[in-house]
Amino acid sequence: MQHIGFLLLGLGNGAVFAALALALVVTFRSSGVVNFATGAIALYAAYLYAFLRKGELLIPIPGLPKTIDVGGNLDIVPAMLVSMVAAAIFGMLLYVVVFRPLRRHSPVAKAVASIGVMLIIQALLAARVGTQAMNTPAILPKDFWNVADLRIPVDRVWFAVIICLVGVLLTVWFRFTRFGTATRAAAESEKGALVSGLSPERIALVNWAVSSGVAALSGILIAPIVPLIPSSYTLFIVPALAAALVGNFTALGPAIAAALIIGMLQSEIQFLQGQVDWLPQFGLIQLVPLAVILVYLVLRGRPLPSRGAIIQQSLGRAPRPRGLLVPVVCSAVIAVIGLLVTGGGIRAAVITSIIMAVIAISTVVVTGYAGQVSLVQLPLAGVGAFTLNRLAETVGIPFPWAPLLSAIAATAIGVIVGLPALRIRGLPVAVVTLALAVAVESFWFRNTDLNGGINGAPVGPPSLFGLDLGAGAGDAYPRISFGVLCLIVLLVVGIGVALLRRSRLGGAMLAVRANERSAAAAGVDVARTKIIAFAIGAFIAGIGGALLAYLQTIASPDSFTAIGGLSLFATVYIAGATSLAGGVVAGVIAPAGVLYALLDQAFSLGSWYEVIAGAGLVLTVIKNPEGIVGPMHDMVDRIRARFAPPGAAPPAHEPDEPAATRPERVKPEIGEELLRIDGVGVRYGAVVAVDDVSFSVREGEIVGLIGPNGAGKTTLIDAIAGFTPATGRVEFLGSDLAGRAPHRRIRFGLGRTFQGIELYEDLTVEENVAVGREAARHGGTHTADDRDGSLLDRLFDVLRLTPVRGRQVRELSQGRRQLVSVARALAGQPKVVLLDEPAGGLDSTESAWLGERLRAVRDAGVTVVMIDHDMGLVMDVCDRIVVLDLGRVIADGTPAQVRADPAVAKAYLGSTGASSDSASAVTG
Amino acid sequence: MTALLSCRGLDAGYVGGRPVVRNFALELQAGEVTALLGPNGAGKTTVLLTLSGLLPRLAGEVELGGTALGSGSARRAARAGVVLVPDDRSLFTGLTVRENLGLCRRRGGVTVDDIVEFFPPLGKRLGVTAGNLSGGEQQMLAIGRALMLQPKVLLIDELSMGLAPVVVEDLLPVVRRVATDTGAAVVLVEQHVRLALEIADKAVVLVHGEAVLDTDAAALRADPAILENAYMGELQKA
Repeated sequence: MQHIGFLLLGLGNGAVFAALALALVVTFRSSGVVNFATGAIALYAAYLYAFLRKGELLIPIPGLPKTIDVGGNLDIVPAMLVSMVAAAIFGMLLYVVVFRPLRRHSPVAKAVASIGVMLIIQALLAARVGTQAMNTPAILPKDFWNVADLRIPVDRVWFAVIICLVGVLLTVWFRFTRFGTATRAAAESEKGALVSGLSPERIALVNWAVSSGVAALSGILIAPIVPLIPSSYTLFIVPALAAALVGNFTALGPAIAAALIIGMLQSEIQFLQGQVDWLPQFGLIQLVPLAVILVYLVLRGRPLPSRGAIIQQSLGRAPRPRGLLVPVVCSAVIAVIGLLVTGGGIRAAVITSIIMAVIAISTVVVTGYAGQVSLVQLPLAGVGAFTLNRLAETVGIPFPWAPLLSAIAATAIGVIVGLPALRIRGLPVAVVTLALAVAVESFWFRNTDLNGGINGAPVGPPSLFGLDLGAGAGDAYPRISFGVLCLIVLLVVGIGVALLRRSRLGGAMLAVRANERSAAAAGVDVARTKIIAFAIGAFIAGIGGALLAYLQTIASPDSFTAIGGLSLFATVYIAGATSLAGGVVAGVIAPAGVLYALLDQAFSLGSWYEVIAGAGLVLTVIKNPEGIVGPMHDMVDRIRARFAPPGAAPPAHEPDEPAATRPERVKPEIGEELLRIDGVGVRYGAVVAVDDVSFSVREGEIVGLIGPNGAGKTTLIDAIAGFTPATGRVEFLGSDLAGRAPHRRIRFGLGRTFQGIELYEDLTVEENVAVGREAARHGGTHTADDRDGSLLDRLFDVLRLTPVRGRQVRELSQGRRQLVSVARALAGQPKVVLLDEPAGGLDSTESAWLGERLRAVRDAGVTVVMIDHDMGLVMDVCDRIVVLDLGRVIADGTPAQVRADPAVAKAYLGSTGASSDSASAVTG
Repeated sequence: MTALLSCRGLDAGYVGGRPVVRNFALELQAGEVTALLGPNGAGKTTVLLTLSGLLPRLAGEVELGGTALGSGSARRAARAGVVLVPDDRSLFTGLTVRENLGLCRRRGGVTVDDIVEFFPPLGKRLGVTAGNLSGGEQQMLAIGRALMLQPKVLLIDELSMGLAPVVVEDLLPVVRRVATDTGAAVVLVEQHVRLALEIADKAVVLVHGEAVLDTDAAALRADPAILENAYMGELQKA
């Protein structure tokens, strides 16, 4: 019975989570923003309300008086109304000023802006009203209903009922009003809304007002139950995000249910902690949202629905570090000068910047290279710091083994963090990592059983061969030798990551970031690559954390908070998460770093620094949604181009060798059957995209796959390569491919390209093609030995790519890009390669030239299946053509046979009168 | 007779890129169907996206009924009467047929019943979500939704995408009727060239971003060789 009482007690917090989850869903659906500031908006409304009840209007704007007297205490209802309306107006303001300008940008940029807003609100309120808890008079009746033995807290039940009612009201509103329908419509297809004369922006504006009002309501109602402190309300966002994720950021009902369950479970666990001895006293409550997310992900994980936006943007390019020597020497010299000329607090700030740069670089690896939004890098650094305390102080392991082992401990946690990312992608990964960050912080760093309790977790100075490398104490603090140690670590990490970026693994990471589908098509093991990225990132973060502990001579929970992690991520994102330079810049501008120290010395900012940092973050994101280092790279490129020797850029097409000098081609004999497609079908809902298709491909053939738009050609290739579930049987080299993942099929010798080409824009031609070699490396018996790397040479030679090997693909002409795409598929040494529109975007001379190259490819022993719309090309190079229409094969034969087939002409040109049986059977 | 919509010197393409379509001119008369033809990649869809405001114009003027039409606002274009039926149809698949149509309802304007009159199969499916319609019904709904906005100019992109020829043969005459009955000028991008020419009054052929032919549809119906020379050259060459 007591259990039920405690479960009901949890309804209070559960109701807040539910309201915030409602607000998150409404905001996301209407504007694509995962609004981390939702909890902060609730906090702002709660303060407004609390002050209004005391007869004062709280003004959060710096420079104005803190409060204005409103002439007497307001009653509950007017105070609530004023606060909610103020929050709604604030929400609309946020949309107009911050999120509307960002509407065409990536979800990550929007999320970063919302983190900035969250930091501003929290810091502003902390600066204005302090961090003292504030009590507010009860709103809901405080008594209990006694049913049998059970004491039911009336206020909690009321609270939950009110929020559920709000949920029902919102649902009714979305379902039955014209505006609600328009909201659902715009969420589903922005383009559809625009051509229907609806304004997605107005719709978003109203939804922002509604969601902020709902958040405000929950903040006001919880204020009498949970004492008003800035940080606690802001973190309500974590369980709310978990609940919204259960509703897939679209459904209100499941989100409310999940939120209430989280609240009740937390309350029950709190009760059990008092009853059961062996339960840990810390962190279990914070584990609940994480557990709910993980259970949900195991049951069904899918990416956030895309909003049908017109423009999708990437994270920005990750430039390949060119020379290592110049940046290494330059930054080393600057840092050493920085250490020498400063002293005391400023020198400590310089060292802090160096260490934060190390931790920031861990984000560059995980987010910038592998594309996984990880908000847990700072807490992972904390794992390094606290493990170091245990290893060095308790166990007595000497430097440098103790910090290295600590980093390995962080790596282990990092791999665990990465596991959910195997099932999900995009912002849900961010939500999971944030939940983990909160759990690690409270379960470990705040746990008096694990964090050293009252004495803290001291970390003694490192020493090597009797040499004291520590940060020192008293006037000597911090010593230059420690700064140099940190700098050496930073340089080693930086060089290591630069080499990683240039390595095969780095190529694979960027491939995963760019497009998991095309990465798999290149034979990259996507899951393994993600986990390795998380592991490397965690290791680097762990090293950084250990250094920070050495600097502070203690592993301090306050240095590794989840909120700090959010703020660090935002800083790195702004500095440029995709490059090493961005990591270093992030170190410079990080809280407690050099920039902070200098500004603080000049203007004595104190607690206002966080407000300014948050505002700077939001402004930078609006001005440069892809970070500030990107434009810097462009500038460097322009300068380089200006000093490059004239004529360095080769022409788009070098003239082909004259026909007379061409070696006489020996057309290989058509060999045995390699690929057999037998009764393959693909359905999308009620639509049959591919229907009972059968044909086979024999060694040495070039087979064309043609048909009108929507005939199912690309879907068929997807089915063959394992990118879409299909019925029927695909047999390759005599074995059934059923159940094999795409990258396994690729490694087995079945290459493919994509219609949109899908190259990795930031990589050079050679790197792009090298990613494709993954397939051969892991391949079976079909791959020839290629120890001397001559394969690539031959490939570039056959495809005439040798002159552009070292150039970034984004500089290439469309024709060259197509060839790079073909080269990447061929680098896996496939037996059969499936080409999807290799001549797309080429003019007729270019495509004739491409035809020549495709023949050369076939003569080199690769069987080709190609889709193309260019009839000239297909008729010219193909030995056999399969014609698809409406998902069925309507012709299969030599080019001459196909050209003469009346059914083919009809499929292309249409005709009046006669109707085709096969066609009418498919739709209806 | 003055044109309902006239466009001169239009450069169209994606912002920051080369224009896909250069110096394009078009005159549309009320109640006429114009077939916009050309091989893949010629720039037909780009023209429609630009006229409907989904892409900003890179250069050129567009006038609707004598007043200049702004650039780059799909919503204003739709309200002014230039309405696009996109090639992906952009239906609200989670909404019912009635909701899809109702969203575009204007006070005192076209009703759902009027749309059902043009497309009787939709009448039985009003409560069904758009995602559960057949391909043909989805296309009817997409055109019907556009008609709710009482278009002066109706732009239809790839009407036949993914549809069986028989379905297309049923739909095109309705498009003809729409033009005749409502007085809308219709621009039809269509890969079933012969079907499109059956119902069109005029035809414009676009190749590599330039209009190479602008003539009466009847002339092309009478002599298919003209069209084949202009646009099917590649097929002939092979």
